[in-house]
Amino acid sequence: MKINKEIKIGGLILVIYFFWAMIWICLNGNNYSPAMNIEKELISPSLNGFLFGADVLGRSLFEVLSVGLVYTFSISFVVSLSACLIGIFIGYLSAMKIKYVSEFMDLFTNIIFIFPSILLAILVMSMSGASVTGLVLCLIFTSWPGYARIARGETLRVMNLGFVESARAIGVSNFRLFYKSILPSILPVISIHFVLGLSGVVISEASLGFLGLGASEYSWGAILAMAKVVLLEAPHVVLVTSVLMTGLIVSLNLFSDGLRDALDPKNQN
Amino acid sequence: MKFLIKTLFTLLMAITIIFFALRMTPGDPVERLLGPEAKQEEINKYRTELGLDKTLTLQYVDFVKGVFSLDLGMSFFNKATVVTLLKERMKPTLTLALISIFLSTPIGLFLGTFAAVNQGNMKDYGVRFGSLILLSFPIFSLAPLLVLIFAVKAGVLPVSEWTSLSHMVLPILTLVLPLSSVIIRVMRNKYLEEVNNLWVPVLQAKGLFNKAILVRIIKVCMPTILNVVAIQLSVVMAGTMITETIFDIPGVGSLLFEAIGNRDYPVVQGVIAYSTIVYMVVYFVIDFLNSKLDPRIEQ
Repeated sequence: MKINKEIKIGGLILVIYFFWAMIWICLNGNNYSPAMNIEKELISPSLNGFLFGADVLGRSLFEVLSVGLVYTFSISFVVSLSACLIGIFIGYLSAMKIKYVSEFMDLFTNIIFIFPSILLAILVMSMSGASVTGLVLCLIFTSWPGYARIARGETLRVMNLGFVESARAIGVSNFRLFYKSILPSILPVISIHFVLGLSGVVISEASLGFLGLGASEYSWGAILAMAKVVLLEAPHVVLVTSVLMTGLIVSLNLFSDGLRDALDPKNQN
Repeated sequence: MKFLIKTLFTLLMAITIIFFALRMTPGDPVERLLGPEAKQEEINKYRTELGLDKTLTLQYVDFVKGVFSLDLGMSFFNKATVVTLLKERMKPTLTLALISIFLSTPIGLFLGTFAAVNQGNMKDYGVRFGSLILLSFPIFSLAPLLVLIFAVKAGVLPVSEWTSLSHMVLPILTLVLPLSSVIIRVMRNKYLEEVNNLWVPVLQAKGLFNKAILVRIIKVCMPTILNVVAIQLSVVMAGTMITETIFDIPGVGSLLFEAIGNRDYPVVQGVIAYSTIVYMVVYFVIDFLNSKLDPRIEQ
């Protein structure tokens, strides 16, 4: 695998965000809530204490966004990982021609496309209350079909390759075949989608937060919704939050782009 | 015929799921309608009037019958039928969807080809970098920034209404920028994939002009582009909830958002039925166009 420019730049930005989140957790723990100080309401960014300025409630925007960053990171990681596992499993079953799995998958994918994820979120949230569990379940629910489709396509492709056919011919069990031959061959393509999926989850989580359906007041979407109201008095809140969020998404997209180029067999000569 | 059966089946599944999901979630439309201090007799009277006192199976049968005879019932909150509401709210959504797709497809095709032809030099990097950034902006963070730039700082465009042509510029821009970025990136990758095929040097050897070869490559890329456009179009036509709420556009998306909040069952069910049909029809049209463009794809 050749490390290209996209991987380097995307990876570097990602590492910066990751260290920011890590250092924040190490210093302040998981349950830190930024202090409110209504006198400092909406002050502009400066070097004395308020690096990014303050928000509507006079909290340091830097602290608010850091808590939000940790929250975003954990949610998107948990969601993508679970959706990925479910997707690989169901995609594999569907490629193995297990009865009704592939019909179920098609129907489910269509229905996920038709139902806006926001509608699903509202339904799930009103059943389970505005909780992190509800949010995570809902996001997993909408993102597994993407992984399943790719896993199915890749499994079908790999199944026709010589080594899988020989393995089946000597009577290797289905389970062993899956984790010895098929899983390693489909993992590169899945990993590209995984990185892309992370940025997708960051966006969906933030859009739910923006519509008031998030599970935390520190969700970047919720901060933007609040900032939109004071756009005229304090544009810095919108600017800083947008730039930070876009930076994270750009780095993930860039990284997955680079990964795709690096793993593409056509580019390996 | 096969398509019709598939559409009807998906429609039936979608409306069944939404029907039961809505009734399983907490929150009662009559309570929202009358407020918390309503008397029991009043609640009962309204329940009878709205048909909510019937058994669930009976309500479901009535509803499914209604959908297939194009009668989606009355809205609980607005004194209008769901069909009239949908007709009214479809206009802004469809205008928005069609204009933004017709703008972003040519832009995406042109810039994508432009980047691919200039692969590796500054022009390519410029287009790729720009589209990556625009693609990564979530709509709800792009929209306030556009408002900040064009309406607040420059003061050239109005915000938040849906009355004249100039009000449409910002919402359309919010949709066109990310849409065309997606198409640019797909077009560039697809072009670079196709240009390495053996038939390209063959055409060159036959002495065909570069422009003619370019046209042929673009034609080969079209089915892929159409699929991308189809996904985007069905999403935008079903009503982009976030864009419509930000810019106060009276479209299908904002209708759905209000209806969910109010537990206005008939309206939510109607919008879901509508977007299922839109989704299936867009896919049907795209499949048809694809089979015209690429004879290998059978109908």
